Amino acid sequence: MKMLGTIVALWVCTVPAALAQTDPPPNAADWAALAKLPDWSGTWTPNVSDQVRRIKTDPVPWTPAVATQIAALVAEEKAGNPRGLFVNCLPEGTPSWMLISHNALEILFSPGRVTLLGESDGNRLRRIYTDGRPHAADPDPSFHGESIGHWEGDTLVIDTIGVLPQAIIAVSEAVGVPNNGDLHVIEHLHLTGPDTLQDDLEIIAPHVLREPWKTSRIFYRQRAKKYEIVEGVCLQGSFIDRTDANGNTIFSPVPQVNGNPTAQ
Amino acid sequence: MFFFEKKNQKTFVFLVGVVTASPALAHHSFSMFDQSKVVTVAGTVKEFQWVNPHVVLWVYANAKDGAVPDLWTIELTSPGNLTRAGWTRHSVTQGDKVAIDIAPLRNGSHGGSLKKLTFTDSGKVLSAVGFSGQEKPGLQ
Repeated sequence: MKMLGTIVALWVCTVPAALAQTDPPPNAADWAALAKLPDWSGTWTPNVSDQVRRIKTDPVPWTPAVATQIAALVAEEKAGNPRGLFVNCLPEGTPSWMLISHNALEILFSPGRVTLLGESDGNRLRRIYTDGRPHAADPDPSFHGESIGHWEGDTLVIDTIGVLPQAIIAVSEAVGVPNNGDLHVIEHLHLTGPDTLQDDLEIIAPHVLREPWKTSRIFYRQRAKKYEIVEGVCLQGSFIDRTDANGNTIFSPVPQVNGNPTAQ
Repeated sequence: MFFFEKKNQKTFVFLVGVVTASPALAHHSFSMFDQSKVVTVAGTVKEFQWVNPHVVLWVYANAKDGAVPDLWTIELTSPGNLTRAGWTRHSVTQGDKVAIDIAPLRNGSHGGSLKKLTFTDSGKVLSAVGFSGQEKPGLQ
C-alpha cells in the first residue's frame, strides 16, 4: 500500500510537469496570425562586398591577445596560405553564418517559430522560437545555439545563447577565432526596402572581444526560380562518384589539402 | 544567358554571370590561388564534379606523344551559385576538349580556380562568376 502511495505521488508530481513541456497544437488563429507578419518569402542572397566593407567600417573589438592571433591569420591569408577555418565542413554556426556566408538563405514562418535554412556546410538551419518561451536554464551547446525571438513591429528580435565555445567568430573563411564560451548574440532582422533585409547584430563574446561588436549584414530578395535553395552537403565535396566491385554506385574519398581537392 | 557571335571569328560567347576580378568564394578562402596571374591549360576533361562546397573540374593537359598527361584540378564556386549564373551539371562533360584560364595555385601544384573555359571545338565560353553583379534584388 505504501508503494502504491509512492507511485501515485510520483504520478501526481511528474505528469503535470510533462504536460507543461508539451507544445500545444497550433489553432486557426495561430495560422492566421502568420499572415500579419511581414513578407520575407523568396530567397535571400548576401551582399558579400558589404561583408568585406563592414570589417573596416565596423572593426571587431578583439581583445589584445586575440588581435595578435587575428593579425597572424590575416598575414597568412595575404601571403597566399589561408587557414581553412571551415574546411572540416562543420557548420559555420552563430554568428558566422550571418557574417560571412556567400550562399543564399530562406526564411520560413510557422506558428511559434521562424526557421532559417541555408545552403552549404551541411544545409544550414536555425530554429528561432517565437512562442514566448524563455531561454532554457542551461541549454545544450550547439553550433547555432538556442535562439528565442519576438516581434517588435516588423522587426524580428533574436536572442541567442548556448553556442558551442568552439564555434568561430569569423570575418572571412580564413580569419576568425573560437568564441571560447559565454557567447550571446542579439539580432534585429528587418526590411530596409521592399526586397532588402538587414540583420543588425550585437555580438557579446567576453573571452575574445573587449566590448560588444555591433555590425550589420544585408541580404537581397530573389524570386527567380533558379535562386531557390538547393541541397548543399559540404562533406559531399570530399567524395567522388565511383562504382565498386559489385557494381554499386558509391562515394569514394577524394584526397584534399587544406580544403582543396587534389588529383585523383 | 546570352549568345552572340563575333563576326569573322566564328566565336560564340556564352555569358554566365558577371566576370569580376574576384571569384565567387565560399567555404574556404581562395587566396591560395594567385588571382594576379592567368595560366591557360589546353586539354581534355576527365571529370566534372557538381558538388558542394565547390564544383571541381579535372582536366588532362595536352601532352606530347607518349608523355603522361598532367592532371589539373580546378575549383569553382558552389552548384547553387553556378546554377544562378546559368551553369548546369551538364555544362561540362567528360571528354570535352577545352582551354581553361585559371588563377593558379601559388604552391606550383597543378591546380587553380577557374576564370574562363573555352570549348575548343565550338569556341563557346563559360565564365567564372563573381558576386558584384549579384548584389541587388530581383535578379533574373
